[in-house]
Amino acid sequence: MEITINGDKATVDGVKISVSDLLKARNVDMPDMVSVEVNGTILERSEFDSTQVGDGDEVEFLYFMGGGR
Amino acid sequence: MSSQWSFNTKAIHSGFDRDPATGATSVPIYQTASFSYPTAGALADVFAGRKYGHVYSRISNPTVSALEARYTALESGIGAIALASGMAAISAALEALCEVGDHLVASSGLFGGTLHLLKEVLSRRGITTTLVDLSDIDAFKSAITPATKAIVVEVIGNPKLDVADLKSLAAVCHDNGIPLVVDNTLTTSFLINAKQWGADIVVNCLGKFVAGNGNTIGGIVVDTGNFDWANSRSPLIKEFSVKFGKFAFVAATRKHVVVNTGACMAPFNAYLFMMGLESLGIRVERHCDNALALALYFQNQSKITEVRYPGLPGHQQMALVQDQFDGRGGALLTIRLGSKDRAYRVMNALKMVSIAANLGDAKTLGIHVASTIYRDFTDEERHAAGVYDDLIRISVGIEAVQDIIADFEQALSGLE
Repeated sequence: MEITINGDKATVDGVKISVSDLLKARNVDMPDMVSVEVNGTILERSEFDSTQVGDGDEVEFLYFMGGGR
Repeated sequence: MSSQWSFNTKAIHSGFDRDPATGATSVPIYQTASFSYPTAGALADVFAGRKYGHVYSRISNPTVSALEARYTALESGIGAIALASGMAAISAALEALCEVGDHLVASSGLFGGTLHLLKEVLSRRGITTTLVDLSDIDAFKSAITPATKAIVVEVIGNPKLDVADLKSLAAVCHDNGIPLVVDNTLTTSFLINAKQWGADIVVNCLGKFVAGNGNTIGGIVVDTGNFDWANSRSPLIKEFSVKFGKFAFVAATRKHVVVNTGACMAPFNAYLFMMGLESLGIRVERHCDNALALALYFQNQSKITEVRYPGLPGHQQMALVQDQFDGRGGALLTIRLGSKDRAYRVMNALKMVSIAANLGDAKTLGIHVASTIYRDFTDEERHAAGVYDDLIRISVGIEAVQDIIADFEQALSGLE
């Protein structure tokens, strides 16, 4: 499947993947500190396991560390 | 890192264990202003918060981040922001929560610096505060207005040494949809995990017990994760919650307030606090033991008209001390001697104990608060804050307790 991650197209194995597994598959740094937005909706941390993403979805990883808003 | 570790283990291992590049066991001091990236896009991604990393040390720095991670673990929180001083920390928290026209309800016995911030600084920016007695829960309740954005208290008031009933205050806050902001400088997260008692934001002046040697200045703001920011009354936090969810408060405090006002912590200071945290638990135990022994000694001295110490049997809020801090009363106590002249004479006769404005130091320190920290306040304001002309505040250190007692004994012997 092809998912847009932080604005870039990325190919990920499988048909669907949970957000928790996507964080692992993409080797996202400091996963405890990241907020995840799927197709414009911010997820609760408790939804990371149950939310599945697939082909064409847009995912944004957001850290509160950065400089801009 | 394990969230199951007990306090003393987290204080040594959380946030940093070894440097992956060199194996260094102490956190490296990243003494740099900026961090370079191989491409323009890579820097832009970090700047936008899409990738984890550091841009500029006003915004974040790896040494400071290690401290923030360790402190977050100690408070069982979700995020922290370290700042240049304790006052910078409480200012940043309140600036994130309040804007012009807003209102706070706070304890009248707060530290003089915090009272000045509320009275002199925030008031000129259109943020008003109602001060109420810390023990009067109904007064907090009735002071809340639609404009109120938080209740602000110290877990133990300095120097009033009154004790906050955190569970009751948190209930008042949460019934009204506002966060409870607590300053736990005098207690530290070793004596109380404020999150468990309902606190939403914890502020600590790290230069006190965390540094432990009086060697530097710093502060920290921690979000315990208790508050649902999506329903925040504060427009800024609500705005940030759309993008950052449960991290709305830490994101707003860092990305809106601290980044743009600039009171960041220096990496070297973060290193000193990391070292201090490692021994915080055993030092606080010793501080408490020494303070109780000194308070008991003072209680038997006829020249002393009043001893206040939260751990002393007979303290009005002993039940809260038992419940919240397992009976330990911290390091601070106050004594009254009948007149300013007698208080000054005792202070001037001390040989080992230093006359200094700090607290939480390994060294025992004494100060006449009425003529120093509270010199610009009216008598009425001083009395509400537990400050009197004949009162000495003592921060009991971790020297051998018999030597501390002996110094006060010889100083008191000069009084008729």
